[in-house]
Amino acid sequence: MTPVQLAIVTLLAPLASAAVIALFLRRAGGLASAVSVLAATLIAGAALMLALGNFRFEAAHEWFQLGGLSLSLGIKFDDLAALMLSVVGVVGWCIHVFSLGYMRDDPAHARYFGGLSIFMFSMVGIVLADNLFMLFIFWELVGFSSYLLIGHWHEKQSASDAAKKAFIVNRVGDFGFLLGIVMCYWSNGTVNLTALSSHHVFSMLIPLLLFCGAVGKSAQLPLQIWLPDAMEGPTPVSALIHAATMVAAGIYMLCRINVLMVPDALTVIMWTGTATALYAALCAITQSDIKKVLAYSTLSQLGFMVAAFGLGPTQFIYDNFSDPKIGMLLMQTGVGAAMFHLSTHAFFKALLFLGSGSVIHGCHHEQDIFKMGGLRTKMPLTFWTFTIGVAAIIGFPYLAGFFSKDAILYLAYANNRTVFAVLAFTAILTSLYMVRLWKLTFLGAPRSDHAAHAHEGGFTLTAPLVILAVLSVLGGYTSLYPKVFTGVFSLIPEAEGSAHTVIVLTSLAVMLIGAVGAFALYRPAATDSLAQKSPGLFGALTALKESFDAVYDYYVAKVQQRFAMLLNFLEQIFLSGLIVRGLAGVAGLFGLGARALHVGNLNVYVYWFLGGLTLFWACAAGLL
Amino acid sequence: MTTLSSFTTGLPLLSVLIFSPLVAAAGAALIRSERALRWWTLVWTTAIALLSLPLWWRFNADTADFQFTEHTAWIPWLKIDYSLGLDGISLLLVLLTTLITPLCVLASWRYITSRVKEFLICLLVMETAMIGVFSALDAILFFMFWEAMLIPMALLIGVWGGPRKIYAAIKFFIYTMAGSIFLLVALIALRLQTGSFSIPGMMGQPYGATFQLWVFAAFFISFAIKVPMFPFHTWLPAAHVEAPTAGSVVLASVLLKMGTYGFLRFCLPITPHATHVFAPAILALSVVAILYGGLTALAQSDLKKLVAYSSVSHMGFATLGIFVLNINGLEGATMVMINHGVTTGALFICVGIIYERLHSRELAAAAGIGRFMPVFMAFFGVFCLSSLGFPGTNSFIGEFLVLAGGFAHSKLLVACAVPGVVIAAAYMFRVLQRVAWGGTANPAHHELHDLEFREIVTLLPLLVFVFWIGLHPQPFVHAMHATVVHLLGQVGHALPAAAALP
Repeated sequence: MTPVQLAIVTLLAPLASAAVIALFLRRAGGLASAVSVLAATLIAGAALMLALGNFRFEAAHEWFQLGGLSLSLGIKFDDLAALMLSVVGVVGWCIHVFSLGYMRDDPAHARYFGGLSIFMFSMVGIVLADNLFMLFIFWELVGFSSYLLIGHWHEKQSASDAAKKAFIVNRVGDFGFLLGIVMCYWSNGTVNLTALSSHHVFSMLIPLLLFCGAVGKSAQLPLQIWLPDAMEGPTPVSALIHAATMVAAGIYMLCRINVLMVPDALTVIMWTGTATALYAALCAITQSDIKKVLAYSTLSQLGFMVAAFGLGPTQFIYDNFSDPKIGMLLMQTGVGAAMFHLSTHAFFKALLFLGSGSVIHGCHHEQDIFKMGGLRTKMPLTFWTFTIGVAAIIGFPYLAGFFSKDAILYLAYANNRTVFAVLAFTAILTSLYMVRLWKLTFLGAPRSDHAAHAHEGGFTLTAPLVILAVLSVLGGYTSLYPKVFTGVFSLIPEAEGSAHTVIVLTSLAVMLIGAVGAFALYRPAATDSLAQKSPGLFGALTALKESFDAVYDYYVAKVQQRFAMLLNFLEQIFLSGLIVRGLAGVAGLFGLGARALHVGNLNVYVYWFLGGLTLFWACAAGLL
Repeated sequence: MTTLSSFTTGLPLLSVLIFSPLVAAAGAALIRSERALRWWTLVWTTAIALLSLPLWWRFNADTADFQFTEHTAWIPWLKIDYSLGLDGISLLLVLLTTLITPLCVLASWRYITSRVKEFLICLLVMETAMIGVFSALDAILFFMFWEAMLIPMALLIGVWGGPRKIYAAIKFFIYTMAGSIFLLVALIALRLQTGSFSIPGMMGQPYGATFQLWVFAAFFISFAIKVPMFPFHTWLPAAHVEAPTAGSVVLASVLLKMGTYGFLRFCLPITPHATHVFAPAILALSVVAILYGGLTALAQSDLKKLVAYSSVSHMGFATLGIFVLNINGLEGATMVMINHGVTTGALFICVGIIYERLHSRELAAAAGIGRFMPVFMAFFGVFCLSSLGFPGTNSFIGEFLVLAGGFAHSKLLVACAVPGVVIAAAYMFRVLQRVAWGGTANPAHHELHDLEFREIVTLLPLLVFVFWIGLHPQPFVHAMHATVVHLLGQVGHALPAAAALP
């Protein structure tokens, strides 16, 4: 089998799995899950074979040609795609296995696994697509599969509302993305990624419009509102789609199109990412739902990645157009740092989400951290793996997050001190809310019956945790990765841990401040310590979180729906009523008048006749 | 001079297609049993659909000339001829018509219980008129088919319609009739200038600028009502809501296309100068239609009304594509016409299926049926996604091309039109969500039975086309390409009056 064929199989296997499940296995949940997991295994295996075999290729087949617009179905498997596909394959496989245990008692087993397979198909499609048009198709497809999976428990009104919200908010971003693709095609004559990299028009609008797509999918400000709500979906879905892969697709897409970037656009991207990172971290502090904390943490980390991408080249690029190669090289540092953090984040965030899934499963679907506590002894394996995840995300030295976060901080330090300060402060908050979550969930005494009777799940629930924990520990050592990934990793600034004293000290300091602060502040109690000690601050943070939701709700319920009602009303009253029926009425009046003349009385007709005759005579005689 | 330049067998294929439904209708008049009538019509319309396939095979897509032409003198002293022919655009529309009609028969299988014979005869007469409109090359022949369509359609609405059927039928009739008068005036004016009623003969003549403006205006009123463009659209929701399923399907899939077809056949090639003059205003109206139709659809609680308003929005894309006057726009517009025929026809069939089971078209009543009708839900879901222009389905190709064409014309225009895509997602997901997952308050839905074989057969061809056009649009675009290029040549590219919107 040639590499191209292997890539095609990787893409089509999950589609086939979804089709088989939808057509034949709707009532056979067990078989459906087996098929789906098999497809996931195939993806993971093929992805690693392709990546580790150091196959790099591009293959395209012309799809259609419409009035000068030529589009192809193609695969671009470069270093970037190889890394992303491996991450998607490995994390996806872990989560499929976890789902086996987690969803065992769910009556709609088949629909769930069918949805996962559609998702894997779309996600692999995004990774492999060689042009923006094809990317957009899969982009929408992941949105749709995410819709299906968020709304899995659709009996809950909140779940089905969240699913709709996610799709429509994404669609808002996608409309910018679509415009960007149209504009890119219009000004460059092609949407092929490789062709674009060799020649394209420099414009600020194109990258910014394309970035809109990433803002929607990677949930950056101001379209971040859908992601916390998306936690209504089953926890493995949150881990796979709303933490490790789909939401990271926005960052991946940016890296794919980095050749189109111009400095001003990057500045916008950098600040969007930085603002999201800070905003989400502030929101995370007040959350009491274990998944919501992780959701905001995901938002914040995505902000880090977007900021890293935007930071890459801000200082150097395009100083002189005579040698674009220098610009290109420097620009890639952002790609390296963003993709590095994307990979490590995929490992430890998937771990944290699956850990929370294990906790939720163990506590009989209790999600409130203030009703947990004491799980350290009840669920030791979950506890230890979760601890590794927490340590990794807060940047504990020599774990995965430490390296990738340092790379971003280094970039920020080198390029923009303000961003550096904000990101460093955000890192304090990260450490604070993660340790808070960890302490409230696992330490102290159980604060509810569910927590008191918590138990560790089966093998399918724990094995993925262990695998992901190992990856979270080792994932930061770029030298451990097979040589085939050097294409991307060589772009990372200071990948082996920063030698820069300021960075190292800052990174250690922020972690310690946050962690110690959380230890000091939060007690394992049924209420939020911050709310008690500083109600004002707590209220302000809650308001900050609520504000965006309020605007969205206001817009949907009041502005959009009322405007639609108003238009409909005007349509009924004016257009359909007054004007159309009015015209008909006028015609009717004429008819009525004409009818009034015809009374059927001979005398009247004679008078009319005489009157007419007089009029006629008067006209003829020139009197009128 | 009588020529029959069809194909080798010498069979005048278009005439056969046009008059077979009439023969079938005559035969139907003699049949008593309702069951036999239904089968009779189904077999005939299916046979006609199969018979139209040679059009597709034998069509030469490399030329913009009219093909399958037939030409016979009809009323010589008025220079009215019986003249038929197809180009790339009308070919697709004829095929759409022959595809949709048997599906209408199937969709009415149980829906129509009274006056079955008359209903089927109306449907068959409709088919004759519809194929006739798309293949006529003589203005009077065209007008005759155009008018002939009104009567069976008004009957379909007025006899087999809902509670306010008479109002809807009269509104439909008067509205379109009012438009037709202008059409007739324009055609006679052109006859006086050119000396014949031949449509190809009217193209490319050096008419005066003022004359063109008046002729265009008359055409515009007539076609804009048919499309329907904002603000001439109010007959559409009324007609759709009251019409029986088959009526809605024919109306949405084929009749609306006649407006845009009219623009392409008459306005652009005959009055190119006026087209350039009026284009900015029509583009503005198209954008208004896209947004207005979408927003109004968002406010509807009646499923049929919702789909009707979404039609206004979709047809806005079609007129937008036509009047940007470039290759992507025109090809996109033609694709939108075909796609709308497939998708909206399918949606109306779906609403009809809901109505047959619940005897209500209210969204609230239909909430939650998806749980008990998974097969239906799969079909309905695909058609909803197609309607909102989901990538990989047919509508996306059309809308993307229109947007690409619009972009080359004016960025502002596209920036205004694209929110329509978001609104489409909003109203379609509102429906999809409610129907699939909504309302646990409808326990009676337990007794609903899922699609039967006949209904699957009705929807399946449309589903095939959703994906066929969505994933492999090349053959469709190829068929019309030469025609569109020729049309662009006729309308001319850069006239001074063609100043783009800012």
